[in-house]
Amino acid sequence: MATKPIGAGVEAGLESIRDGIAQGRFPARVFNDQEIFDIEQQRVFSKAWCFLAHESEIPDRGDYVTRYIANNNLIVARDESGEIHASLNMCRHRGNMMCKSEMGNASHFRCSYHGWVYKNSGELVGVPYMKEGYEGRIDKRDWGLIKVRTQTYAGLVFGTLDPDAPPLDEYLGGFQFYLDLYLKQGNSGSEVHGPPDHWVTETDWKIAAENFSGDGYHTPVAHQFGFNLGYFASSGATHSQGWAASIPGKGHGIGLGHTPGFPPFAGFPEELADEMRRSLSPEQVEVFSQTRTAVGTVFPNLSFLMQPFSIVPGQTGVRFVTMRLYHPIGPGKTEMYSWCLVPKDASDEYKQEAYRAYTLTFAQAGTFEQDDLENWARVTRSAGSTMARNIEFPYVMGMDSVRDPDFPGPGHVVKPYVNDSNFRNLWSRWSDYMTGQV
Amino acid sequence: MASKKPDRDAVLDATDFLHREALALDERRFRDWLDHLTDDIRYIVPLRVTREGQADWEVSPTSRIFDDDKQTLTLRVERLETDFAWAEQPPSRTRHYVTNVVADPGEREGELLVSSNCLIYRSRGDSVEPNLYSIARKDTVRRVDGGLLLARRYAVLDQSVINGHNLSILL
Ligand code: FES
Ligand SMILES: [Fe+2]
Repeated sequence: MATKPIGAGVEAGLESIRDGIAQGRFPARVFNDQEIFDIEQQRVFSKAWCFLAHESEIPDRGDYVTRYIANNNLIVARDESGEIHASLNMCRHRGNMMCKSEMGNASHFRCSYHGWVYKNSGELVGVPYMKEGYEGRIDKRDWGLIKVRTQTYAGLVFGTLDPDAPPLDEYLGGFQFYLDLYLKQGNSGSEVHGPPDHWVTETDWKIAAENFSGDGYHTPVAHQFGFNLGYFASSGATHSQGWAASIPGKGHGIGLGHTPGFPPFAGFPEELADEMRRSLSPEQVEVFSQTRTAVGTVFPNLSFLMQPFSIVPGQTGVRFVTMRLYHPIGPGKTEMYSWCLVPKDASDEYKQEAYRAYTLTFAQAGTFEQDDLENWARVTRSAGSTMARNIEFPYVMGMDSVRDPDFPGPGHVVKPYVNDSNFRNLWSRWSDYMTGQV
Repeated sequence: MASKKPDRDAVLDATDFLHREALALDERRFRDWLDHLTDDIRYIVPLRVTREGQADWEVSPTSRIFDDDKQTLTLRVERLETDFAWAEQPPSRTRHYVTNVVADPGEREGELLVSSNCLIYRSRGDSVEPNLYSIARKDTVRRVDGGLLLARRYAVLDQSVINGHNLSILL
């Protein structure tokens, strides 16, 4: 995709942002700025691997969901042979939208304007007045829906608009080690509990992506009520102990909260913990058994959180996983998608319990989600002000921290999880894209 | 399907009950509001999904925005009583407009199945743009000791993509 030429001043500005990150500085304005947003659409979202859907959302042939990469609406469909395709949701004849629903099942899509018909794989198969009108001037093979390259990892379907993007495995760069905690809960892996919560927020996607890449710092304050009422399996003092792990040069990061004395795999049903002990690598077992909270972001805009929560104060409760996609729809404006992932093999009872814990805490009416969004909306608003154009934030926490030599997981791993190292890595990757290095 | 219409008094009682229940919410008397609920309340707000006309469901059978019982609703109220419920600090101003009340006999003796429309106007801080939530409610209201209590709320938002940056209010 061609990069739009922009003013030299802007290019120099982006370079200086990039330099600032190395010194632990990042400007406020990037979190709410039209110019930054426009460049992001072109340079980040047109090149990165972007999350589209979880395979369990489209389990059967013909199942589809519609999702976005940047402002491009895509159909993500499972074809009649079970293969997954992502196609631009736009008729090749005059551009009408093919699927107007968020999800459904169809073997074919018939355009409601002039009636061109495509298979769910995107192939054009029907053109009214083919002989009389086009007199052989249309070869159907040339006019299928525009394809978007997809690859999957452990149930996650990603797409990229860049035909030259490196393979997904390389893009994830070792972060799979940590993603397995969310995606390989038991032998059969994880599945979505149902369609995602979907709402519009006054938040820049980057604020959410940063928070979920391991902000252990905000929890004792932003979510104080949970400690205050005793609903947390940790205290304000212990909550943010643990590790911050990031994949250098890739932007992905995860915070791993660990409470001393927290029982291994606490909050998982016993059978499931046993399965995980067998199916994960010994290194993963070592890390995950001591992980209480895991909150991570796959660059650019896919995040996860796993946390035990009990509706009875003082008890460990159940582990729930939320997976969220921050779809940028404008500077400082984001469409949120939030799913609850549950272990496929778990009992219905456990799935229900985990789902209820999710709705109470991190769905759009969740008690934690509410407070995060309140804060993020204010951050967004501040970042858009004229004075904020020249204000930088400090990203110097843990600037000189060295890798924990005893930690068995990959990447740059430092203690404690109150640390800016994941964020510096995230924004330095973002800068790589913004300055055209990727 | 309802066998016979409940008497006029029962319908008036149910309407009055919904109005008072809404008033407790709008006046932020959340403890009073909890007193309007039975101990076995189920409070469910399912997700609406935009789907084709022939689809077998439009309101998700599995995905819920709220999935509460008395214990978790109490937790939400206890939270609002702390100094750390940032999402409601300062509090939202809400106004519940409850209309189109239709009451039918419920499944059990002494219960009514009450359908209503509810429009919630929500204003926050100095924002000039309110959130508007239009909701279809199907409530079960139960007669207990001469008064009415809410035993089940099933409230479906009319929007599939919700335009409020959080949902820190009760519907
Ligand atoms: S726009 Fe689709 S057939 Fe004409
Ligand atoms: Fe948070």
